[in-house]
Amino acid sequence: MTPNSSSSPSRRSFLASTAVVVAAVGGGVPLLTACGGSGDEKNEGTTTGRKLKGLLPAYVPSEAVTPDIPARNGSAIGFTTARPAGQLAVSVPEKLGKGGEVSIMAPLWGTSPGTGNAYWTAMDEAAGVKVKWQNQDGNVYGQKLGAVLASSNVPDAVVVPSWELNGKIPSAITNKFADLGPYLAGDKVKAYPNLAAIPTGAWQRAVFGGKLRGLPFPAESTPNIAPFYRPDVFEERGYQVPATTQEFYDLCKEMNAPRSKVWACGDMTWSAFAFFGVLAEKPHYWKLVDGKLVNRYETDEYLEALEWSRSLYSAGFVHPDVKAERGDQKNLFSSGRLMMYNADISDWYGATAVQRLADPKFTMAAMDIFAHDGGEPTLYAAPPSNIWCFVSEKADKRKIEEILALANFTAAPYGSREQRLKAYGVEGVHHTVKDGVIAKTEDGNNQVFATYEYIAGPAAFRAFPDHPDVAKGMVEWQQRQGAHTRKPLFYGMQVQEPARYAELNAQFEDLEKDIVRGRKKVSDMQQNVSDWRTRGGDKLRDWYKKLLDETGDSAS
Amino acid sequence: MVDTESRAEPQARHPATGRKRPEPAKPAGGITLRHRLRRDRTLILMTLPAIVLLLVFAYVPLAGNVVAFQEYDPYIADNAFQAILQSPWVGLDQFRQMMDDRLFWAALRNTLAIFLIQLTLFFPVPVLLALFINSFVRPRVRAVAQAILYLPHFFSWVLVVTVFQQMFGGAGLISQTLRDHGHDGIDLMTDPGLFKFLITFEMIWKDAGWGVIVFLAALASVSPDLYEASAMDGANRWRRIWHITLPALRPVVALLLVLQVGNALTVGFEQILLQRTAVGPGASEVLDTYVWNVGITNGGFSYAAAVGIVKGIVGLLLVLAANKVAHLMGEQGVYRK
Repeated sequence: MTPNSSSSPSRRSFLASTAVVVAAVGGGVPLLTACGGSGDEKNEGTTTGRKLKGLLPAYVPSEAVTPDIPARNGSAIGFTTARPAGQLAVSVPEKLGKGGEVSIMAPLWGTSPGTGNAYWTAMDEAAGVKVKWQNQDGNVYGQKLGAVLASSNVPDAVVVPSWELNGKIPSAITNKFADLGPYLAGDKVKAYPNLAAIPTGAWQRAVFGGKLRGLPFPAESTPNIAPFYRPDVFEERGYQVPATTQEFYDLCKEMNAPRSKVWACGDMTWSAFAFFGVLAEKPHYWKLVDGKLVNRYETDEYLEALEWSRSLYSAGFVHPDVKAERGDQKNLFSSGRLMMYNADISDWYGATAVQRLADPKFTMAAMDIFAHDGGEPTLYAAPPSNIWCFVSEKADKRKIEEILALANFTAAPYGSREQRLKAYGVEGVHHTVKDGVIAKTEDGNNQVFATYEYIAGPAAFRAFPDHPDVAKGMVEWQQRQGAHTRKPLFYGMQVQEPARYAELNAQFEDLEKDIVRGRKKVSDMQQNVSDWRTRGGDKLRDWYKKLLDETGDSAS
Repeated sequence: MVDTESRAEPQARHPATGRKRPEPAKPAGGITLRHRLRRDRTLILMTLPAIVLLLVFAYVPLAGNVVAFQEYDPYIADNAFQAILQSPWVGLDQFRQMMDDRLFWAALRNTLAIFLIQLTLFFPVPVLLALFINSFVRPRVRAVAQAILYLPHFFSWVLVVTVFQQMFGGAGLISQTLRDHGHDGIDLMTDPGLFKFLITFEMIWKDAGWGVIVFLAALASVSPDLYEASAMDGANRWRRIWHITLPALRPVVALLLVLQVGNALTVGFEQILLQRTAVGPGASEVLDTYVWNVGITNGGFSYAAAVGIVKGIVGLLLVLAANKVAHLMGEQGVYRK
């Protein structure tokens, strides 16, 4: 076991339950402003402009299905209904796979269904590719990844989430994975229509070391962390949804009742970052102030957010199990022992689906993100893709084509035959469809996990025909928050920092946790930031400034 | 053909040698290696699997320590061997960096503090428990007591930490009981100041019972005649413990102490990693978790290897020193002089 194995929040797991997360940043063709890459191209820097355009696949949007809720402000598209099997669109009319075998390493948040199960067999058969899965626990994936990539036994394809791009992993990607450009660049992608329908922004982020190496899993550009509350409980007890950080604090005070085993909230640090308008994470953690780059760690809002989050802890509003990272916030929340918490937006569906089995009236919702003083919030657009599947450089042409065939199958849009199989398994075995509602059977729940999910996905969508109110609420929340998002510097770029700065930011996550839990002072963070500057932060700033001057402020 | 010439050789007077052992006349230097191999072949065969395991999983990987003198990048080549060949050599840079590394020294300090606390609080507990169990006369009672004491050893650390959280956490049983009676709750699980005692307490709960086994075995070898004789001479219970039981345990206690000191810098990995966030790295980071975070989590293999080497050397020196002390006290220690 390792530190992130509990299901409490961690950067490694916050995208965990993205069973059907995908992304749609309005993917137009990039405009050309800057040219060329920067730095030692294979191992650091980024690729933009004309050079980038030459690497990217053409974009041919899918017209197979019309969403019930169209995308707006960078949100996903939403689906509230499920078609009967007979009316599903067909996005892969002919099997592209030739029956070859490929080994794939991917994170799994759940228990592996084991080889030979009916779901995998059906998927292999339908895609025409036999997959030998090497699933690893998603919560500790990074540790396994480092070891596997260092060995001489790299699987044919490997899924890498962006939050594992620490230390030397980026160097491994450019050294160990194949260039897919010869198979996908420009019009070549049209051989794989579902891959051609992936928005361009998602592909841009899959360019590593000057080559198109990744198959993207697109994501919305709207915030993925949502502060959740229970509208049913709020209404019953007359609570108002807060609109400033002070109101949030006061509400916590009103709700907090340790004697009845009820605490006001979980760890709200991520929400605090949004309330105070803190910059996003690497590489989007810079902003220009009077022509000078300022890092998120150096901003006042970062310290203010920590200070506020700390005040919730010191007032005793945070559930003790959360403080000790030994409790699952989602479970504490659904069972009413925690009134508010924040997590990836996909928890909305996950918790609702489970709770409504026992309590059909259960409702939860995400509150709109507010600026700490009640004004309009400053939110930064999320990257257009965060999970990629790479192909080993040792794979031959045949093998690469098998993997692309499989990716074309997994990237099928919602409402297609292929997506139904991928997400719900075989009808009658893994799920049943009745009156437009899909219900998974026990076999479905035990076998159909997000294993094929991350090989490549369609443009972001949220489809919950079993709980249409959740699909609607979720997409509308995204659209409202999307109205406040702005693009951070270097938006859409895959920036590889020089290896010598690999461990520069390693202390911050620990220190954030120490500060909000009251073990360290906010001034300790200021000290750490000043150490960070001398240890390389200032040089990193210069490096980014040069990059900015050479490439412009976004990929396209 | 038996022992006549080699009477001076202690080995040759092995009780099992009674007959037929080939023992050719030879100088006082001892029997030859070939003969010893032949004589002990059964024993050697029996240890062979363990030796192979030791070679493959302990000695061969030791060679990997060369990366401590490099800036090792495992991803530049196809396999680890080639990556080592291609990585640049940096001499003692990693070690120099370590000397200036605040976090390394903090981890070392925590490690030693935890070791000392465990030595004083944990180590005596199994001895006391062994005496306690040994005092039961009825075998049934004794077996039940043993089973209850052993049981927690088979729980995983995840479970142990969770049980402690349910008992002593801020939302745990004790806190809730206090609140029900109008007091404030207490949260022992997130107090950095208590952490070192907390993990020792957890360890006692989990493993003290298991540690009893060795001492019970030592106690079983004490002849009941000694107790009877001393009882006849009028020695009371405490006298018997003091003059018979404890001296019988002495060699085992000394041996385990030496081994314990050798492991001084290994104070528990999983247990500590699991509770890292609850109390923060300031109180909980020990050398093993530090190596893990630097090496495995952040990919600083070379630096982590350097820390590992220092840890190994310090551990070796400690065990040699402890063994020396054991010898001075007239005990055998881990090996004979």
